[in-house]
Amino acid sequence: ETEIKLANNTNKKIRGMALPRTCINLSRLTSTSDKICMRLSSFASTQTAKEKWDLLSAVCLERKPVIARNLLPIEKEVLSMAQKMEYRLSLKSDHEIQLEKDRERQERIKQGDADDSDMDQASLNSAQDFEDASVEELSKFPFADRITEADKEKDQKSLDRMLDRHLLLVVRQKLGTSSVWILPQGQRQEGETMRQAAERVLAESFDGKVQSRFLGNAPCGFYKYKYPKHIREQDGNSIGAKVFFFKAHVTSDSPLKKGSCIEDFAWLGRDELDSYLPEKYRKSVTEFLIDED
Amino acid sequence: ENMIGIRRFIQPLLGFHTSAVQCAEPMKKKKKMDPSIIRHREQRKMKRIERSIRKLERVERPLKPLDETQIPLSLKYEIPIRQRQLQPISQDIELSQRELLVAWSHHKQKEAERDLACIRKLLDAQGKALKELKLESEELYIEATQLDLSLLPYKAVGPTRTPQIKGYDPPDGDYIDVSRKWE
Repeated sequence: ETEIKLANNTNKKIRGMALPRTCINLSRLTSTSDKICMRLSSFASTQTAKEKWDLLSAVCLERKPVIARNLLPIEKEVLSMAQKMEYRLSLKSDHEIQLEKDRERQERIKQGDADDSDMDQASLNSAQDFEDASVEELSKFPFADRITEADKEKDQKSLDRMLDRHLLLVVRQKLGTSSVWILPQGQRQEGETMRQAAERVLAESFDGKVQSRFLGNAPCGFYKYKYPKHIREQDGNSIGAKVFFFKAHVTSDSPLKKGSCIEDFAWLGRDELDSYLPEKYRKSVTEFLIDED
Repeated sequence: ENMIGIRRFIQPLLGFHTSAVQCAEPMKKKKKMDPSIIRHREQRKMKRIERSIRKLERVERPLKPLDETQIPLSLKYEIPIRQRQLQPISQDIELSQRELLVAWSHHKQKEAERDLACIRKLLDAQGKALKELKLESEELYIEATQLDLSLLPYKAVGPTRTPQIKGYDPPDGDYIDVSRKWE
């Protein structure tokens, strides 16, 4: 059964003709051969009445979080409680036993009840010394900062920013007469699958190879928009564009160099998308982005 | 006269008998071995066994897999020494702990609900996209629903507490795993 495709570009909600019901009505009036003719003609009419939409592929390229988020207050409380319970239920380790023995030996030496064996043992490195040395080594170790320089400078072209959150690649492209901030998109060419088109779009947007990993052949999201009236009305032109988004992870952290197809790019966090992406577009895009609090 | 003659003939015959059919020959007499030769042979056997033991010991003993390690028995007898003598927890602290666990379970439940809602949203978005693609072109839809085998096995290194130190030179050197892999 063919679906009678309706023009769904209007704001009104046209309840689609319930095909089974009309078929039943028609079947009462017509004979079988007429029915077949009617079905074939309806098929033909949908083909000619089918609107022409440009098929575009877009890339949703993300840098996944590199470091874990800071603990929430409740998480900190539960962690400290769990650690205390763990301590209560545990047995003493060899190190603790050694500490106790050392302490007792010190007491004995102070009291004056020390034997020769005690004096021999006391001259060796005590467990407390070892513990102190270990703690000092840890405090001196130069861990990398969680808040990087890129964070402080708010450099939106750097991948080192906001290491505990997702970063989404957004570019400024010229669509028609105006430039908009969108995810990199481009039209699908002959002989390409949608995913291949997305990979090509990414390669053309930047100089040099962008180390990325595409997640599967299926698109993750969809957005469509109509072209302005004067373009639509010209013969042979499409009504608008249907954009299919493909998700990818960026695997290298070397900075990107912008190519000729785009005017500018930025790596944005979820909060910053409001001020860059157009409203309706942003709504469609957040549908396939992982939520962040 | 004839009876006496027969008796003389029968009596020795009464003692005559045959044994069962053996199908074998009688045992050969065992020759006594020279005790020094016996000792020599035993010594050589011992030497051979000892040599093989030494060879096995020379080879690096394969390490036991971690799954097969056991708690050393000596620790079983050390438990009384290692037990902590702590004050029992006060009622207030125990009550606050229980309240905290209830709050934690609520928090985790909300978190799980949010995660499931997010997954549902992502799947819906993908479903919509595939439906639209199918309306546009069957070919492209079929190609979009093909399995991407390069994705599996998928490996991801999880987020750490602090980021990698750029250009870090470990003082103990790098760790290169040379364990055998049975694929």
